[in-house]
Amino acid sequence: MKIVDVYRWVDHTGELELEIEASSQRAVFEQAVAALGELLAERTEVDGGGAMASFEVTVSAPDRATLLAELLSELLYLVEDQGLIPERAERLDLSEESLEATVSGRLSTPPHLVKAVTYHRLEMTEEDETWRARVVLDV
Amino acid sequence: MPQIRQVDETLWEIPASERADMRVPARVFADPELLEAIRSDRSLEQLQNVATLPGVVEAALAMPDIHQGYGFPVGGVASTELPDGVVSPGGVGYDINCGVRLLAVPLTAAELGSRKESLVHEIARRAPSGAGREGRVRLRGAELDRVLREGPSALLELRGIGASQDLERTESLGRLEGADPRCVSQRARERGGGQLGTVGSGNHFIEVQRVERVFDEAAARAYGLESGRITVLIHSGSRGLGHQVCTDSVKRMDAALARYGIELPDRQLACAPLSSPEARHYLGAMAAAANFAWANRAAIADAVREAVRAVLGAEAARATRQVYDVAHNVAKLERYGGREVCVHRKGATRAFPPGNPEIPAAYRDAGQPVFIPGSMGTSSFVLAGRPGSMERSFGTTCHGAGRRMSRTQARKRIRGAELRRQLEADGVTVRCPSNRGLTEEAPFAYKEVDAVVEVVERAGLAARVAQLRPIGVVKG
Repeated sequence: MKIVDVYRWVDHTGELELEIEASSQRAVFEQAVAALGELLAERTEVDGGGAMASFEVTVSAPDRATLLAELLSELLYLVEDQGLIPERAERLDLSEESLEATVSGRLSTPPHLVKAVTYHRLEMTEEDETWRARVVLDV
Repeated sequence: MPQIRQVDETLWEIPASERADMRVPARVFADPELLEAIRSDRSLEQLQNVATLPGVVEAALAMPDIHQGYGFPVGGVASTELPDGVVSPGGVGYDINCGVRLLAVPLTAAELGSRKESLVHEIARRAPSGAGREGRVRLRGAELDRVLREGPSALLELRGIGASQDLERTESLGRLEGADPRCVSQRARERGGGQLGTVGSGNHFIEVQRVERVFDEAAARAYGLESGRITVLIHSGSRGLGHQVCTDSVKRMDAALARYGIELPDRQLACAPLSSPEARHYLGAMAAAANFAWANRAAIADAVREAVRAVLGAEAARATRQVYDVAHNVAKLERYGGREVCVHRKGATRAFPPGNPEIPAAYRDAGQPVFIPGSMGTSSFVLAGRPGSMERSFGTTCHGAGRRMSRTQARKRIRGAELRRQLEADGVTVRCPSNRGLTEEAPFAYKEVDAVVEVVERAGLAARVAQLRPIGVVKG
């Protein structure tokens, strides 16, 4: 059965929990980029569509779950510093302890909604050829 | 579900024996109804996790507004003993020195009259949420270092922003000692340097209020509050700078846990012994971020005074005075029971009783002011610290109403336009650019603040001084 790459936001009293299910490790990171982008785009009034832009991102961590947290943290910085609303990872190269990506999106005035990516319930595992990940964001 | 026993009228306890890794009990200040709500999420499990921290003393405590967080619950207090008890950045939170500042404007609501809309509009215009790259004030290099080291007094000297008389009426005089700008990363500086004077989004706000009811005439008089008076409540923190300091510190301590032989039930509780280099680095950075937050609230207060000047005139602006400013996400070294401890307050407010030398002289007979914001559209309360806080809760009381509903649930219950109509019908002028953001902060998403305040009063932690009714809200 083909695994569909999906993400969903899970109810959390005070914070936002992101759950991802995907066919590969790469797809987990790609879904995370898309999820953050959707979260911010819904809350941004984009005047005239916003110019497209791409940014090179490099992060490293000793395990995959922490690498996912590091990628999202790096994107948070671009949200605040550049006004980026990420849409997709055009290129994503994974090695044992690092990730390099080209992330594209629109430049706008996204709200500074997400304060940080937490380590609470942080997880990225594989079972039955399906990769699952969970990350909680402080908002 | 852990076994919980009632200790007295307002205190409940999960004994340390309930879990093998708990070092002290977990205690909750609540009434039966609030406790039922608390048990519906993971708050108590998280409180038990806090009770496992190395060096934690007496009990991991929760205020009646506790709700599930990440690692530490929100609305919790935990104290660890020096020198080898730990400090945990998660016990402060990402928004270091998120807190509340109350200003009193020299007009009554009746005198303000139809100028209310203009006042709310001018405040919204001058104190932006911070979406986008720049806020009111951009600080870099040596100027930023000074504000990190010295707080709002440096902002006043460098840029003429703020008021000198506000410093005395700020917790810790707006400056934590031991702040070390060298411990604040370049990334944190880049995130926060341009955000001074911005409120933030989520549950941050500026609220215009009127004093609706006075419970303690003497304390209200000392604080400068009388029935009908206009007040402005500012809820904001250290913005991206503090968020990044905590992110950097959690990462650093997470990587060092094995070296200190620390095992944790939740990775977000990452911590290090207070005597360690990692802890000293965090405390230096945290103090710097706390000072930045006080400078931020000073800049926002300056913007509010400018709005008052524009709408109500120069004399009204000059006479707008700060009542007090309290932090509700911070760690401080304090003494209780003859020992020095690191008190972690995450969504909890210091509440020193009458006579404490850290309280401004004018307030010393009344006790330290404490501000408890309700949800948007419901009352906030001014409290005064009471002796029970020193005996029972490491000098601490609650910080707000606490969420009882997720953002998704709140959005499903009401549309933004309808919520705006309801608030306007209740006499609350609303400025919020996002309907989605507005509904996520709807009043029904929060616990009843009256119930929370009643518990802390009955528990002897703090006592009601005045009730503030919102008449205008500015949200990011």
